[in-house]
Amino acid sequence: MLVGISLENKLQNTGKPKDCADEMSQLLLEVASQRCKRSYAKIFGYFAPRLRSYALKQMGNEALAMEMVQDTMTNVWQKAHLFNAEKGSPSTWIFTIARNIRFDMLRKLKNRKEDICSDDLWPILCEQTPDQNEVSLDEQVTLEQVGQLFNNLPDKQRAVIEAIYIDGKSQQEVADELAIPLGTVKSRTRLALQRLKDMLEAND
Amino acid sequence: MINYHPTDKQLQQFAEGNISSALALVVSAHCDVCSQCQEKVDDINAKLSSVIENIHAHEDKDPAFEKMLASIMQMPIVDTKPVVAPRIELDGRFFDVPRPLQRFVKHTGNWSHLLGKVWQAPVDLGDAGIANFIYMEKGGRVPEHTHRGTELTLVVDGEFSDGLADYDSGDFIVMDNEHIHSPHSNASEGCLVFSIVDKPLHFTSGIARLLNPFSHLFFK
Repeated sequence: MLVGISLENKLQNTGKPKDCADEMSQLLLEVASQRCKRSYAKIFGYFAPRLRSYALKQMGNEALAMEMVQDTMTNVWQKAHLFNAEKGSPSTWIFTIARNIRFDMLRKLKNRKEDICSDDLWPILCEQTPDQNEVSLDEQVTLEQVGQLFNNLPDKQRAVIEAIYIDGKSQQEVADELAIPLGTVKSRTRLALQRLKDMLEAND
Repeated sequence: MINYHPTDKQLQQFAEGNISSALALVVSAHCDVCSQCQEKVDDINAKLSSVIENIHAHEDKDPAFEKMLASIMQMPIVDTKPVVAPRIELDGRFFDVPRPLQRFVKHTGNWSHLLGKVWQAPVDLGDAGIANFIYMEKGGRVPEHTHRGTELTLVVDGEFSDGLADYDSGDFIVMDNEHIHSPHSNASEGCLVFSIVDKPLHFTSGIARLLNPFSHLFFK
């Protein structure tokens, strides 16, 4: 607890937005120039509860809302000298900080959710190389290279890959066309992709 | 001259904080070089912040806030010194990038030759994933493709065309599975773009289709 500094939610002039903005600008200036804790406490007392209400409405979670308030108000304390009254009102400045904090938080949340392998488009490669980081297939793969490697595939595998990836046919269509079981098409595809991958790695 | 801008809706959602962080990054980079969009966002910010002012917050003392206030005021003031804006370098050529992208310059990997006269440098966005700087030399072309997800592009420096339109520095482009295009540059200075793709591209023509099984390894 901080003795002697109380949270002041009410300012003398909250009724008039212009006066409120002027008062807040002045307080920010005092924080910036003198690290005035009393001035900061007033700013905090005014904005923290409002930011919480706003964040709570937007995020629907008390803990996240408080995290957002803390991060935003920390920035206000540490970077008050960056506030420029000519560019906008204190509330717009603080609101913009809060918005950027929100983007940072969304990013972190998203990351927590997507810890799993997101690459379900290539389940074949995925399941054989569960650790994507290990497959540091060089980005220097060029179209020409893939084309050459493709020619090195056994004829049967190449035919399947060609039909699927160049002609855009489904595996079932290829199976019907070549009069072979679907399972065979699948295994040839898998083997061919694995082989291409191995060749790409060996090429580095 | 900038011809392609985020929609008003995207600007509104950006100001509200209601778009993905990838889209937010590209929108804010665009606004940094487009005063027209920046003014719109400033207006929206002012409106939204007056909403916050009008929130009727309860005035009881809250121990959680008392504690937060005390802990914040123990923190040191951060001195922010003006720094030299980091730039992107390719073969001895330096490119200025919009301010929101500058903090990623040091997280940009080496350039690698992609295909033809197209070069790519991956950018680690941290939690937001991977982006790329892509440079097309004069005559460089990315094979025709569509998108499994969304492709966000900001033209950083130069001009390119993609069969759908001609783009210039500062243009903001969103492509998805309804667009098939083949970006290429005929500008003598080539073209540098910043691009974020959330799912691999899908190549749509000729031999380039062979890239599809591996397209998650590049262009992403």
